[in-house]
Amino acid sequence: MKLLVSELRKVIYVRSNWGLLVGAIFISAVGTAVTVPILAPVEGGAVFGVSLQETSGVDSVYANAVSGYIFAIILGILLMSGEFRHGTAVATFLTSPKRYRVVFAKLAVSALAAAALMIISAVAGFIAGWLALQTVDDAASPSENLFLNLILASALAGAVLGVIGLAIGTLIKNQLLAIVVTLVYLFIVDPLLLALFPDSAKFLPTGLITAMLNLDIDAPELGINTNNYLPPFEAAGFLVAFGVVFAGVAMFTSLRRDID
Amino acid sequence: MSAIVFKNLTKKYGKQYAVNDLAVEIETGKITGFLGPNGAGKSTSLRCLVGLAAPTDGSSTINGVPYQELENPLSQVGTVLDSRGFHRGLTGKQNLKVIAAAAGIDDARVDEVLEKVELSDAANKRVGKYSLGMKQRLSLAGALLGDPEILILDEPANGLDPVGIAWLRTFLKKLAEGGRTILISSHQLAEMQNTVDDVLIIHKGKLVASGTLSDITQGDTLEQAFLRLTGGAA
Repeated sequence: MKLLVSELRKVIYVRSNWGLLVGAIFISAVGTAVTVPILAPVEGGAVFGVSLQETSGVDSVYANAVSGYIFAIILGILLMSGEFRHGTAVATFLTSPKRYRVVFAKLAVSALAAAALMIISAVAGFIAGWLALQTVDDAASPSENLFLNLILASALAGAVLGVIGLAIGTLIKNQLLAIVVTLVYLFIVDPLLLALFPDSAKFLPTGLITAMLNLDIDAPELGINTNNYLPPFEAAGFLVAFGVVFAGVAMFTSLRRDID
Repeated sequence: MSAIVFKNLTKKYGKQYAVNDLAVEIETGKITGFLGPNGAGKSTSLRCLVGLAAPTDGSSTINGVPYQELENPLSQVGTVLDSRGFHRGLTGKQNLKVIAAAAGIDDARVDEVLEKVELSDAANKRVGKYSLGMKQRLSLAGALLGDPEILILDEPANGLDPVGIAWLRTFLKKLAEGGRTILISSHQLAEMQNTVDDVLIIHKGKLVASGTLSDITQGDTLEQAFLRLTGGAA
């Protein structure tokens, strides 16, 4: 409990963490809102095979409310790599030399903080999407459980991404390098794999997060068919498994390494 | 019982010995100077002692147990390893409150130690704006948070100006008067001569001398003795 309080204080005191929250809110809100004019019907027709007069079209707008996930993973990275960057790892491990306790506390706080970041940014995205949809005549209503699914998926994805981020920050002590590697993976490698190998790539984090939203979108023009994705609970299970593997990596690495 | 014991401690990086078979005991209630040229293995020995680095062979104990096994170590051992150990974006007080929370120490103690090292006025200033001397004082404040009986200080005078060194000398003397065991590594040989009871000298990873100050100096200054024992290495 003492370590949890200490780690929570680190999250609260460090201003860049609040910057990440603002960034996540901004990206989620803008990402959701701008989808509306992009998909808005041109003379009543569908754009990219998606119509905002249909529930699936509106759902695809709200799906962008989880766009802040990149900030959740960066938060996890900063919580660990920041210790090495600022040299605070020394004080941390001097105070609690049983390192597994520190890593457990960090994993828990990273999961909690990243989940909170995702939920807040998803709600902001949802509100922005709702406001933007008011400008569209005859826009359909979203599916019944979309908001609930969005919040649950955000919470779980945020928690797991926080854990994955922390593990990356443990493996790659150079903070900038850790962030660049993560961004390259999430923005280039993961989407490429998803487009080229949809059957395999649906098991990767981006595909799993989308699957948890339980959307029903078939837009060949956009290369999206959510019917190819895993069922929500199965996707959640795989995402948690990712988190467990990465948590193990973080634990193993921290326990063995000399602290500079 | 000795406060600190190095039992044939060895630390290698690849084939290079950083510390080679260090075996020595530090007596309770004394100030012991840990001297050696740059790269002699002082910092590595201290890092192994407090569990930050794993020894290749041998071991070390504090109050009879390895540091990692100490319950609430901050209440038994205060450590200053360098002045880099604080987050630049946090205030001095916030940095200490993070450590205090992890050790279960009341936040009121943070104000006490900041006052003790004369940093109360800068408590709410971000560490990034601290001078090196202020960072060293903050490190000392962190080491004193748990009111420990043993202090391990690695080059606490590094980068301090003459005023800072004079402050540190007085500060350490006050701490020593309270009966604390202090293990201090330093290059300030003249300062150490005025401060320490016992001396350890390490060179190229090996202990070359240990004993009381008078045993080591044999009528010379500490600097002369140091140069004699390390073959002129400075």
